[in-house]
Amino acid sequence: MEQLTLALAKGRTAESTIELLNKAGIEFPDFHTKSRKLVFSNPEETLKLIFVKAVDVCTYVETGAADVGVVGKDNILESGADIYELLDLKLGKCKFSVAGLQDTPPLEEAKKLVVASKYPRVATNYFNQKGIAVETIKLNGSVELAPLIGMADCIVDIVETGNTIKENGLKIMADIDDISTRLIVNKSSFATKTESIQQVIDQLKAGLE
Amino acid sequence: MEVQTYDPKDPNIRAYKVREQLIQTMKTRFSLYGYHQIRTSTFEPYELYFNTAGTIHTDEMVKLIDRNGKVLVLRPDVTIPATRSVAAQNIDPTNHLRYFYVSDVYRQSFDGNGSKEKTQAGIECFGEKSAEIDAEAIALAIQTLKDLDVPNFKIEIGHADFFKQAASELEVTNEELEQLKRFIQAKNMTEIGPFLERHNVKQEVADAVRSIPLLYGKPNTVLAKAKQIALNETMQQALQNLEDVYEVLEAYGVAEHIVLDFGLINHMDYYSDIIFQGFIDNVAKPVLMGGRYDHLSEQFAAQIPAIGFAFEVEALLEGTSDYAFEEPASVDMTVIYEKTKQKEALAIAAELREAGLRTIAVPAADQVKANSASIIQITESEQILISGNDVQKFTALRDLKAEIL
Repeated sequence: MEQLTLALAKGRTAESTIELLNKAGIEFPDFHTKSRKLVFSNPEETLKLIFVKAVDVCTYVETGAADVGVVGKDNILESGADIYELLDLKLGKCKFSVAGLQDTPPLEEAKKLVVASKYPRVATNYFNQKGIAVETIKLNGSVELAPLIGMADCIVDIVETGNTIKENGLKIMADIDDISTRLIVNKSSFATKTESIQQVIDQLKAGLE
Repeated sequence: MEVQTYDPKDPNIRAYKVREQLIQTMKTRFSLYGYHQIRTSTFEPYELYFNTAGTIHTDEMVKLIDRNGKVLVLRPDVTIPATRSVAAQNIDPTNHLRYFYVSDVYRQSFDGNGSKEKTQAGIECFGEKSAEIDAEAIALAIQTLKDLDVPNFKIEIGHADFFKQAASELEVTNEELEQLKRFIQAKNMTEIGPFLERHNVKQEVADAVRSIPLLYGKPNTVLAKAKQIALNETMQQALQNLEDVYEVLEAYGVAEHIVLDFGLINHMDYYSDIIFQGFIDNVAKPVLMGGRYDHLSEQFAAQIPAIGFAFEVEALLEGTSDYAFEEPASVDMTVIYEKTKQKEALAIAAELREAGLRTIAVPAADQVKANSASIIQITESEQILISGNDVQKFTALRDLKAEIL
């Protein structure tokens, strides 16, 4: 059977994803969290695991550099990639939310908003659907700062516990979407390597039970 | 004593030759199925696309303004102008018109990398719908991929009516429908379920919509499953149509390359019946897209059913150039001569060119390298023709021509 390349997002869900893969009977013996290696193979050499930045996983899969990927729904939504999204791995659960200052008026009353986000596409789509005109500012981190210093009226970000939001004196104004880790697949790989991919899916499904 | 007419490693020349060979292979195959080449204009009036519903998004087109302020677009596709032109011809639909084309098409962005231009090689067959015609188009696509020595490929076949019919049973806004389409295109089962629950969809319809993305795989198995969820007569007919086409494809002996995918929804809304796309190893996007568009001609006041497909030439090159290309001799004949025999040598070269042979003439003193099918040496004392291991003397030009032509 031909070898599949699996792109895995580095970061908060990497370890739990590896645990799930192990439970599904897919082992990468060389892998340990401290390792700086970026490429691993399973003993049967049917799977090659590559570690990439979370925001890049969809690109790897859409361009076919990887056949399958494991990545958060947040990155899938932001990339807008044309891929299959076949399984919810139920890891790294959190939400996309809108947050603002305590005295920010409700969103429905806004005429025009300035929104700061690591996810400009998600933010723009959400407000467009609501019929609210927005100007979106793309930031790469510390997004909570933007309303505090008057750079933006509100932010769109992923919220896990809500602690960061609270600690910075912000409040959740609306929830956009639930987020969790997903298994994504390149459409061409799915057509030309159907059996190998189906096997990985079946194994993961069994691992989830 | 070799004449090098071009450096085989020159990337520009090589890329062009590889591309031309690929295109020639496709053209030959299309011709063998009785298709004839056509060409459409590079510039089209903007209104042609603006007024034709369900085609290319107006933002996607490359527009120009002529000196009278009229807006033109650079040919965004071939199907629409070809259909318009056939609609104007008043043809007899029982007599099929078989066209093919190799054309550059232009869009604002094809794949997010800023590329605005690509080459499509495709066919259109105008005339009455039948399972045989549909199967012919698909078999031709498969045969073309075989001609290109593509080792592993799959054609995914779906039906435009199947999802459209299921969707017509839903009470949702257009935006919500688009969202559902995206979920189905992504086979995103995680979100389809909650979507259907949110919209209080009837059990029977919900079951159908939920099954559509999973109806993927071997045709007989998938068709059997699909029959159980068909909601109405139109969906049954769609399945019957696919079954009929598949039967003919089996007769063509190409069934191994076919999978059915009812989750296939083309972004071109004009497709009315069977739709398909092709994937090959090492290329992430479809190299082939097509389908039946029986109602497009109605927008040009005619009723001519049609089916067509287009190969993406650049995508095919990405997946095939490594093994498909054979390096041909760059010229047919090289004439190498002593300076004193220049006049005779140039006369021979001229005759050979006249006879259609690609010929180069060079003085022996130049000591060039040849990538030539045959070589003629002309010295003070003799004239020799070298073809492979075969070496022959000749005296008169007449004898030479008798030998090689």
